[in-house]
Amino acid sequence: MVRGLWSAQRYNQDPWPGVGNPPTLQGGEIQQYFGYSPRVPTTLHFESVRRRFGRLAVLKGVSGTVEPGGMLLVTGANGSGKSTLLRCLSGLLAPDSGKIEYQENGAGLDIAERRQRVGVVSPDLAFYAELTVAENLDFFSRLRRVSSAAGFAVLDRLALPADRLAGALSSGMRQRLRWAWALLHSPRLLLLDEPFQNFDAAGERVARELLAEHLAGGGLAVVANPSTLDFDHAAQRLDLGG
Amino acid sequence: MKKLFAWLLWLWLSLVIVGAFCYAPLAKGFIGESSRILFFHVPMAWVSFIGFIAAAVWSGLYLFGGRDPKHDRAAAAAIELGLIFGVLATVTGALWARIMWGAYWNWDPRQTSLLISLLFYGAYLALRAAVDDRETRGRLSAAYALLGIVITPFLYWIVPRITYSLHPEPLINAQGKLEMESRMTQVLLASGVGFTALFFWIHNLQCRLQALLDRRAAL
Amino acid sequence: MRRNASTWAAEAAAVFVKEWRCEFRTRYSLNTLALFAFTTLVVVSFSLGPLGVSKSQGTSLLPVLLWIILLFSVAAGLPRAFVQEEETQTATALRLAATPSALFCGKLLYGLSLVFALEALVTPIYVAMTSLDVASPGLLVAVLAAGGYGLAVGSTLVAAIIAQARTKGTLFSVLAFPVLLPLLVLAVELTRNAASGAAPDVALPQLLLYDAVVTIAGLMLFPLVWNP
Repeated sequence: MVRGLWSAQRYNQDPWPGVGNPPTLQGGEIQQYFGYSPRVPTTLHFESVRRRFGRLAVLKGVSGTVEPGGMLLVTGANGSGKSTLLRCLSGLLAPDSGKIEYQENGAGLDIAERRQRVGVVSPDLAFYAELTVAENLDFFSRLRRVSSAAGFAVLDRLALPADRLAGALSSGMRQRLRWAWALLHSPRLLLLDEPFQNFDAAGERVARELLAEHLAGGGLAVVANPSTLDFDHAAQRLDLGG
Repeated sequence: MKKLFAWLLWLWLSLVIVGAFCYAPLAKGFIGESSRILFFHVPMAWVSFIGFIAAAVWSGLYLFGGRDPKHDRAAAAAIELGLIFGVLATVTGALWARIMWGAYWNWDPRQTSLLISLLFYGAYLALRAAVDDRETRGRLSAAYALLGIVITPFLYWIVPRITYSLHPEPLINAQGKLEMESRMTQVLLASGVGFTALFFWIHNLQCRLQALLDRRAAL
Repeated sequence: MRRNASTWAAEAAAVFVKEWRCEFRTRYSLNTLALFAFTTLVVVSFSLGPLGVSKSQGTSLLPVLLWIILLFSVAAGLPRAFVQEEETQTATALRLAATPSALFCGKLLYGLSLVFALEALVTPIYVAMTSLDVASPGLLVAVLAAGGYGLAVGSTLVAAIIAQARTKGTLFSVLAFPVLLPLLVLAVELTRNAASGAAPDVALPQLLLYDAVVTIAGLMLFPLVWNP
């Protein structure tokens, strides 16, 4: 049922939600499929986002919508703007034009609030090499004013050694730390850029579980990856071409 | 309309130059004809200062008024022109100082404050040159311009207190009476108006040119 | 999403603690500051000669040299607070997690502690090596405190600005000097007053006003500089 409603072809045509589209899932239907209550609507909607760097137009008017429990998979060749789109959505980059609307609990958030509410996994996220994994997570949980319990729980699931210096981690371990960091504050929106990069099979399995649990709890996700990561049966697709 | 303004400006400034050398009398206490430089030195220093204020205003508009690139271009052009007029004011001031006091540079407080303002302009332009991304460049240089304008009052307060002033007494003294003859006042005010108009005219040209360059770079 | 004051302070404290924790493990900034300060100190002392300068000359000359040593040590060691975040790419994580004003305050406190430590180390040695007679030590301490604060806050803000530019090393000095100049002039004048025993008149309030103005400018401008 879900597969039929969200197809790749529809999103390549940049539809305006609600016009000539199948009806969005109503409250009861969401509960039926994902088992969560729609009392906490969280939606992401972006429209005609453009961004250029000097002469290079990287994003040329990209639009999309993500509903609660939904995942948007952004694919495209290298240089097609996937990371740039994710950075615009996370608030790290301001688009040249277009709008990005993110609502949590029915209230719209501006760019500064969105920046601090999202959970981001990205290849260029780095942590303090002189601090241990536990100290890094503790520092960021103090910054985010949350208890570090959630972060350490993910740490355990990902089997990261808490006392190792972040500078001494292998690339796969660093990716696990990024996931733990992203989930520290139990974000409603996950922006994942190449989320399974450097993972071994065990790590990827745990990360997929974490993602599935996040979506099942009504969270949103936007995943950018050069390949489709075998998500195409469950996700909306946005192909940036290139 | 713009052509008419340009011709009027040319005419006005030509009259100011003629007036400075032929119409206005020599000032008392100045050596020879050297007081004539006053009609150019003072307005240029004044215009340089206006450039800083204008740049700060446009920087504020850029940061707090929607990040419009137009404001960023206007601020950068104002600083560039402020630098040019400031350098000219410093040079004319140094020439005059040589005649009056025998040395090009005397650490006179007004000379020093003008020099420090030039340092600010230079730093601003160095910052702009060091940032590649347009949006970051606008944001960082606007913040620096606002920081500069906030620091400037301190420069104007403290510098005169630490150096002995060789500069002539202010032209408008405590009683509010002008100490210059009326013809000198006329030429000086006319020169001030002319140079300010010149500043904004060149500024307008520079903004339009930069807008065209930006649009071409984006194509 | 409301943020209340008590946890804002905890955020700033967390940044401060993190800076010092990293610093203790690498000692990079402390070494740079200390080495630079001592080298300059020794050069100044050598150039003044073993017999020092006469008392009247010393009162006008030596305060300037002290503040030059402090200024250039700070320029060598302080900008690293922000520049390193950008270079090691930890700035992305900070931008997503930290409240900008708390981050600024945390970095400022770190910079302040470095500057005060530097002053505490350099000034007694300088006074001893140059035989500078200080008539009012209380005023000297006040000037070092207020002037050191000004150095720290101005340098922190300028460091935040240049961290996102290229050629960060030279650019910091170019941008910071005009901003710090009023501070230096006032601090030197007050240090001269402290050495000669003269009353400080209006310069001390002006110095404190400078500190207040730059702090407010920093708190207002930093969020705009830090985030797009």
